[in-house]
Amino acid sequence: MTLSNAPGKADRPGFWGRLSGFGPYAALTEVLFASPRRQFLVLLTIPVIWVFVTHLGPILQMLNVSLLTNYPPSPNKVPSYTLEHYGKFFTEGIFITPFIRTMVFSTVLTLTTLIIMYPVAYFLARHVPRNRQMLFLMLLLIPFWVGEVVRIFAMMILLGNNGALNLVLQFLGLTERPIPFMYTGFSLSAGIIYLTALYMLMPLYSALEKIPANYSEAAADLGAGPWTRFRRITLPLSLEGIASGCTLVFLISTGMYATPVLLGGPSTTLFSEVIAGFFHVAGDQWPVGAAFSCIMLLTALAVSGGFNKIMGHLAGRVKK
Amino acid sequence: MTRNTRILMQCIYWAFVLYLLVPLFLMMLMGFKDSKFIGFPIRSWTLDWYLGVFNDTAVVQALGYSAVIAVVSTAIALFMGTWIAVALTGRSFWGRAIILGLTLLPAVIPGVISAIAFRIAARVVGMEPGMWAIIWSHAIHNVPFVVLVVMARLSTLPKSYGEAARDLGADPIITFFRVTLPYLTPAMIGGGVFCMLLSFDDFVRSFFLGGYEPTLPVLIFAKLRSGMSPEINAISTIVLVLTALLGLWAERSMRGMSKRAAND
Repeated sequence: MTLSNAPGKADRPGFWGRLSGFGPYAALTEVLFASPRRQFLVLLTIPVIWVFVTHLGPILQMLNVSLLTNYPPSPNKVPSYTLEHYGKFFTEGIFITPFIRTMVFSTVLTLTTLIIMYPVAYFLARHVPRNRQMLFLMLLLIPFWVGEVVRIFAMMILLGNNGALNLVLQFLGLTERPIPFMYTGFSLSAGIIYLTALYMLMPLYSALEKIPANYSEAAADLGAGPWTRFRRITLPLSLEGIASGCTLVFLISTGMYATPVLLGGPSTTLFSEVIAGFFHVAGDQWPVGAAFSCIMLLTALAVSGGFNKIMGHLAGRVKK
Repeated sequence: MTRNTRILMQCIYWAFVLYLLVPLFLMMLMGFKDSKFIGFPIRSWTLDWYLGVFNDTAVVQALGYSAVIAVVSTAIALFMGTWIAVALTGRSFWGRAIILGLTLLPAVIPGVISAIAFRIAARVVGMEPGMWAIIWSHAIHNVPFVVLVVMARLSTLPKSYGEAARDLGADPIITFFRVTLPYLTPAMIGGGVFCMLLSFDDFVRSFFLGGYEPTLPVLIFAKLRSGMSPEINAISTIVLVLTALLGLWAERSMRGMSKRAAND
């Protein structure tokens, strides 16, 4: 590696040499780096403040607002603390349905994505020659540089009543009238898989790529069939990739907003749309939205945390 | 693996490539349709939609707006992310796991919830919805990605480099700028471009934190809701080409730089 200044220039003090000879700077570094302990504190203070204030702060504020009777504050109503917004979720059935639908839908989609992406990742990692893997991977990566909204739009053109899929189906004579794919669970699933597949592919690919090929060869020499080799070697060694891929896809699909709005219909309303509704209307609906967001955040993190715990346990057993 | 499963997997791969690329290809194609209505078949062709994009001030403004947000939020994310990565690498101290966990938190919170938490926080601190609110939320959301990329690169930096610099009389600040930072550059460029793409493509945070001026994804979303026309195809195609070029360039330059760094 190269440093910015070539050695030849060393006899004349460069910018850094002059800086370290500069009185106020020298005095400042003297104070800041007097001991390793102080050096450590100087280095760590700003990251710690940043992380607590900006990463954790908004979540805590959301939690706080979810417990207030009214927000944004209005002059004639002084907010006080209450749990009624959380109660609303459990007592009014219209909110539970989209919530359960979101969780079931996300789980099913995560598993579907896993089943589709596992062979793709396996093929890439094990059957494509090393020097061409990057090219094959690129083909899958390019669409993911395009934004969420643009990709949803592309999906709408494919699935619309005058869309390409219906055109092909009609041309082949499989259907006479266009099939209404749009605004159904089908279009929503196709869209979400389209948007999240990469997050499944990458962890799976890097896990599978690390498994030495001679493990399987050794097992084959010992007489293990292809299914046994997969079940006893490849699958256990790729558990970590499965765990992180599933976690990412699950968390991303629970938090999707533009996709259900554009690709879903009235029968597929997801919880994110319900939550967003509280922030569109003028008035003091914010605390309800905040409470529902907290419920969803906790559930999503609990589900993925629990899942990771189980997978970690399984992966630990493999290592023994 | 037997021959048949291998062929089957190959088929799944190519089917998936088609699934990913065909919709985008169709979208580009539809931008050339000489009609106001989207849908097949395309009977006559025109370039008007593509040319019209550059005359549409709303689109050009949104493009510029999104670009400014992407650049500024990436600069903030790179600065903070690199600092956090340097502070957390190679040290073990009480609470390190907590700090690391909080660092990665914005990346795992589902999109809508993070947008709403930022919306509420902006209201609490009295920040008006608009450019700075969007920049602030994008920067926070992107910090974890910078931290992960920079930490990975930092873990391969030999400890002796920093020690040598210190033996030669460099203080920690100079050591950082002359030894650590040049070593981190490829990772920072890669992470930076990734952040710019994330910010440029982000919809949900820009939607909830935006004022009256829309970012490009928000503008496309609004147009989609009010009715589809090939104009949206032309806009989307231009966005696609821009982002793909940026991504490809970053991929190439990053690989080139790490190869050179490995050779030196």
